[in-house]
Amino acid sequence: MKRLAGWMLASPATLAITFLLVIPVAITVGLSFGSPGQGDWGIVQPYADFFASGFRRNVLWRTFTVAGWVTVISLAAGLATAYVVARCPPWMKSTLIVLAVFPLLTGVVVRSFAWLVLLGREGMVNQVLQATGLTDGPVAMLYTQGAVIVAMVYIFVPLMVLVLVGVLENIPEDLMQASSSLGAGPVASFFQVTLPLAVPGLIVGAVLVFTASFTSYATPHLLGGTRQMMMGTFLQQRALVAFDWPGAAVVAAIMLAVIVATVLVMTRVARRLNPMAT
Amino acid sequence: MPRYQRLALSSISAAALLAALPAGATTFTISWWGFNGDKMQEIIVNPFQELCGCEVVFETGNNGDRLNRLAMRSGAGVDVIYLTDSYSQAGIEQGLFQPIDRAQVPNIAELYDLAQAPQGEFGPAYTVGRIGLVYDSARVNPPITSWNDLWRADLASSLSLPNITTTAGPMVVLQAGRHAGVDAYTDEDATFAALAELAPNIVTNYNTGSEMINLFSTGEISVSMTQDFTLGRLRDAVPTIEWATLTDGEIAVLNTINIPTGSENVELAHQFINFVLSADIQRQLAEQGVDAPVNATVELSPEAAGMWTYGQEQIDSLQRIDYSQLNPARDRWLDRWNETFGM
Repeated sequence: MKRLAGWMLASPATLAITFLLVIPVAITVGLSFGSPGQGDWGIVQPYADFFASGFRRNVLWRTFTVAGWVTVISLAAGLATAYVVARCPPWMKSTLIVLAVFPLLTGVVVRSFAWLVLLGREGMVNQVLQATGLTDGPVAMLYTQGAVIVAMVYIFVPLMVLVLVGVLENIPEDLMQASSSLGAGPVASFFQVTLPLAVPGLIVGAVLVFTASFTSYATPHLLGGTRQMMMGTFLQQRALVAFDWPGAAVVAAIMLAVIVATVLVMTRVARRLNPMAT
Repeated sequence: MPRYQRLALSSISAAALLAALPAGATTFTISWWGFNGDKMQEIIVNPFQELCGCEVVFETGNNGDRLNRLAMRSGAGVDVIYLTDSYSQAGIEQGLFQPIDRAQVPNIAELYDLAQAPQGEFGPAYTVGRIGLVYDSARVNPPITSWNDLWRADLASSLSLPNITTTAGPMVVLQAGRHAGVDAYTDEDATFAALAELAPNIVTNYNTGSEMINLFSTGEISVSMTQDFTLGRLRDAVPTIEWATLTDGEIAVLNTINIPTGSENVELAHQFINFVLSADIQRQLAEQGVDAPVNATVELSPEAAGMWTYGQEQIDSLQRIDYSQLNPARDRWLDRWNETFGM
């Protein structure tokens, strides 16, 4: 009876996930395969076609690199910010957290658009560079990989801060006192006590940021333009412009595979760094 | 059951019944871009609602989005759809539209020849536009006078062209073929070699008119290729923008109205198309700065005509595009375009 009640309680969520996630993903992945007699590769011919194209490999690699850089920079910036926030007195902590997550209150398009204004040829960054004599003329910053990375870091750091503050707060102060009483300086305490204990948070944050930046559409679309196409923008082109749904499904399936693989690798790394992490 | 409970129950059932009953008026659904909302409401929607006694609702979005949504619903859900000719050709090829019964749309006879049946038995064009070049006269000297000027060395990093995924994009490929002196459909290698020569001049390619206007107003670009309907908004943003007079001709672009196969109000849809093509509505749309007229009986004052592709002579001078040839080529070109501009 108790077991039945449990199933009953879980059923709305299970049904929702089955119909809204599992089935659509299965259909998409199914759509990405070709017919058995097609080409040299049979049903995986569409994937062979994808990897045979230099442009498509380039898009995949670019997306991977951008997402990787965004994750690493967000981890460093997020950890530093969260470390400071977690050690503040309570009244200041809440103010700082509100300030840190303030950008989350506006949409991702608006936040990306802000960078369009800042990094433009007549934008603030170029004005400062020219006023200080660092450059003679305007530097082309928009529609480069750097612009996409900068904007994405700005967008995802608040996410990382939120995750890490929670983790760092839960590390007991006693442990720090114990490590200093045993002769460790602040730096050694950080690297030998705080950091290993923060690994679960770092992994959750890294997975969130990597997934979100690997699949993002608006930011690469606005700041990367057509010269910095990423998987999200390429997927949109296949589906909504070329009306090539099987081709778009291949892109989606590859994105899914990369993300699942990355999450698995990250959890494995985390387990090695801190056996209690997962 | 106590009386008050019975009363409450019966009023709830009555309310539920009322809500479930179909409303008196028919709902007529138009799929269009959503530009010029207020003017469209005043010139087209309000008078048409009065005429048909129906309620008009909209589906808005760009060409690709709306056509895709229609395809996903297998041609159902809207009664008429506005598209540029390249997308209506794609819709025709996907079997999403029904032929127009021309007997029910007598106003078609008043249109310029090119607008009457641009895609066979399917929808007529309701407006005509030009695709040409615009430039910022404060920054570009000498002025642009030919498509070949796009390759000028002094325009390095100052161009944005429409992406191949937009209506005007594939025409960039056609012009590159002309520049190379070959037919883009038959000699793709020479055509794309000419496009590659153009790459250093390009900052980024744009997907929407607003994106292009932004690029001009932030100073990122000084030359672009666009449809004439963006000119007004471009000049609002950058007053020194000029529409280039091209010695080698501008390209005609026609916007069509079609009736999808799943339309639930086919008769009303024909009536709507006839209404939009009437001389009176076409004149109002032109005078209010919405669309150029294709009804040959519309007479405009010189001021109103100035901003439009207007009159037999101007319409005759435009280059025409055969989309049944261009659309399949575009799908082939997509990857090469990506490789040229996106590596």
